[in-house]
Amino acid sequence: MSIIYLMIPLGIIFAGLAVWALIWAIRSGQFDELESHGWSVVLDDDTKPPPVETENDSQDEVEREPDS
Amino acid sequence: MANTGVGAGAFASCFHCGEPCPPGPPILVERDGEPQPVCCHGCQAVSELIFSSGLDRYYQFRTSEGRKINDDLEMVAGIWSACDDRQELWGEEHTDGKRDLLLQTEGVECSACAWLIRSRIEPQTGVDRVQVDVGTGYTRIVWDPAQTKLSTLALELAKIGYRPHLPVAESEQRARLKERRIGMLRVGVAGLGMMQVMMYAVGLYAGETFGITDGARRFLEWTSLLVTIPVVLFSARPFFTSAISSLNVRRLNMDVPVALAIAVAFVASCFNFLRGAGDVYFDSVVMFVFFLSSARYIQLVQRHRNLEGGAALARLIPEWARRLQGSEIETVLAADLSVGDLVRVRAGETFPADGSIENGTTEVDEALLTGESAPRVRGPGEDVVGGSVNILSPVEMRVRAVGRDSTVSALGRMLLRAGGERNRFVSASERIAGYFVGFVLLIAALTSVAWLYFQPSAALSAALAVLVVSCPCALSLAAPASVSAAGRALLGQGVMMTRGVALEVLARVDVVVFDKTGTLTSGRPRICSVKINPDSPGLDEEALLGIAAALEAHSAHPLAHAFRVKSPLPGVTDVTTVNHGGVSGIINGERWSIGSADFVGLDEKDVANTGIIVWLARQSAKQSGWVAQFEIRDELRTGVRQTIDELHHRGIRTVIASGDREQSVSEVASRLGIEEWHARQKPEMKIERVRKWQRTGSRVLMVGDGVNDAPVLAAADVSMTVSGATDLANSAADFILTTDSLATVNRVMEISGATRRVIRENMTWAIVYNVLALPLAIGGFLQPWMAALGMSLSSLLVVANSARLSRVASKRSETTETVSGTVPA
Repeated sequence: MSIIYLMIPLGIIFAGLAVWALIWAIRSGQFDELESHGWSVVLDDDTKPPPVETENDSQDEVEREPDS
Repeated sequence: MANTGVGAGAFASCFHCGEPCPPGPPILVERDGEPQPVCCHGCQAVSELIFSSGLDRYYQFRTSEGRKINDDLEMVAGIWSACDDRQELWGEEHTDGKRDLLLQTEGVECSACAWLIRSRIEPQTGVDRVQVDVGTGYTRIVWDPAQTKLSTLALELAKIGYRPHLPVAESEQRARLKERRIGMLRVGVAGLGMMQVMMYAVGLYAGETFGITDGARRFLEWTSLLVTIPVVLFSARPFFTSAISSLNVRRLNMDVPVALAIAVAFVASCFNFLRGAGDVYFDSVVMFVFFLSSARYIQLVQRHRNLEGGAALARLIPEWARRLQGSEIETVLAADLSVGDLVRVRAGETFPADGSIENGTTEVDEALLTGESAPRVRGPGEDVVGGSVNILSPVEMRVRAVGRDSTVSALGRMLLRAGGERNRFVSASERIAGYFVGFVLLIAALTSVAWLYFQPSAALSAALAVLVVSCPCALSLAAPASVSAAGRALLGQGVMMTRGVALEVLARVDVVVFDKTGTLTSGRPRICSVKINPDSPGLDEEALLGIAAALEAHSAHPLAHAFRVKSPLPGVTDVTTVNHGGVSGIINGERWSIGSADFVGLDEKDVANTGIIVWLARQSAKQSGWVAQFEIRDELRTGVRQTIDELHHRGIRTVIASGDREQSVSEVASRLGIEEWHARQKPEMKIERVRKWQRTGSRVLMVGDGVNDAPVLAAADVSMTVSGATDLANSAADFILTTDSLATVNRVMEISGATRRVIRENMTWAIVYNVLALPLAIGGFLQPWMAALGMSLSSLLVVANSARLSRVASKRSETTETVSGTVPA
């Protein structure tokens, strides 16, 4: 049973890391809006390049990594 | 919409915004090779851009139609480029030089909209991250001003059909965001803490059954304490502060037993831990805190949604104004305008502040503010309200009120009052909660005494269970959660609720009193005929109309609108306005009065007429000395007949109490099938009538619009004003209808009935739950953690049941009719 003296402190450290990650995520606004992100799964199209800002998007048929 | 285009059938509706396409050669947009009709070039440009950037899934998944936007993109670019060199508008600065910009985006209505905006704006150069809040319409953009311009971002938003606005009350919005974030962090910390402590608790419980070394048990208790401390100190903090502040004002609110339960459980566990004997309840503490802070967070989000309604109103004001400095015109922020500034407003633009017209005459569309759909003519000296639209020709306006003093901001505050105001039912449940807490403390004490006597080791556990299980959260949430959900539903119907208590009373109304002029009728009266007294010398019809118009310009009475004319008016001095009477003033050295026969000093039995007669008389006139009489007629509002029928169908008595003469009142009454009507009522008489009904036990709803209705509105149990009502009436009203149709009255009553039902369900559930759980807790059958779970679930159930209200209401509005609502939901 002495393993718990190692594992539980480790677990607490991980929980601490999780809190830190949570603070970071909330600070950077990732949880500010929870409704529309679920739709991204349906709406985002990974096989096509994401829209680009140029006016003549139609010429832009090159495969590209989506960056969002 | 059907007009002369016979044979063309119904016009196709626009592919983008759903509005009917105008007749004539269709404007088309191509989707997968198939042409789709659109209504205008604006919608064409937007949907073409959406297709060409590969975002056409938006059309597949959107749940609401696009917003029609006729913005001239060049104008948008021009206006926004003025703020490219104003750093204070770029948003909060991050340490790396990036900016955190908050914009209000008009037309964001569903998740597909949010996705469209993100997909369009995020790939722009210099943009880090885009967030769109569908509920409130706020868009946050983190961007690098070194790489792109603010005007570019604004233009991109406008291109895909979402009109950007600088946020009103940005600091409040950011403060709310901060509050939500910290609330979420509290939930998160409690949640993570709960997972840890529960895991250790499993070890402790298993150890109790299967045996555990003292060292291991001690170690698990140590770690539990370590994890519980931040949860109690950070996550549970709001409960303690709220409980302490409530004790400071010597009242028991629902946070007192909650804070007490947390404190007792935590302190008792620490005590047991330190003395090394007895149970520890750290697991119960963290779980309790987690469930309660989750419920609290949900309420917080709901309350903030309500507050955004005010922001939707403020969105009516444009960001920019063209200020005249000598002969120069400079573009400034509307927020920077100060009283006395001269502003030029071009045709098609929105007035940036309240003020009066200095130069030029135009027609003004106040539809957004009053629901009044007919444009009103405004000339020099006349007031215009910020947020109304200048339709006809450019004018120069002298600013009279800005910021907090403006009409729009007053409306917003009125709306916010609903959030702060407490329902009578709410305060009743708060009182119940107070007694309840005392009762619970007594029971808890008795329980522990009894248990100490029989079985000392279980005493603390049973007392804790009593404290936790009886937490009156669900009871206290029952009414406010329902009222706030109903408030949002009403806003969607174009109704602003200014006093939450009214919603509960409205469901029990049995008499509805209508004002006639401007309420049952459209409030857009016209002069049908002019009769000039043959005995009176000199002046012709036009001159008399001029005099009448000049006098009536000083009246806010709906009838006065009939006299609005474009031609220059003679000057009036020494004006006196009598509520519910008329106006008198001196023109060209002579005192004239205009108004009811009573007011001008006539005995009106002389004349019989079906319309409303407004009399013009010289002050010196004796019994028969009238100069002219104007017959004015007023059309009925849309939906009046159905509204009255529906009310009768519900068994509600309808009454007209009007200041008008018998003939016109009886005519309207008979057309609507209203049996009881009272004509020639002065405000104090109307109040007396209302009081009389109230004394016989009836609950009275007053529906009115005029300045003279305001005191009556305040006297009635519940009051509503219709669109186009005067400010004073609105300030006395519980509900302000912004739609032109009177049918909304019945929608409000339906929502009110539903709210009452939901409050009842909630209270029944809360009480039944407590009655069932309390004996179990006293009997020691409930562990504190079970009590914590049950109590939190009962609160969540109440909140969820209330949220149902907003869905019910929106579904109903879809099936019945599309209300011409003007306030963005």
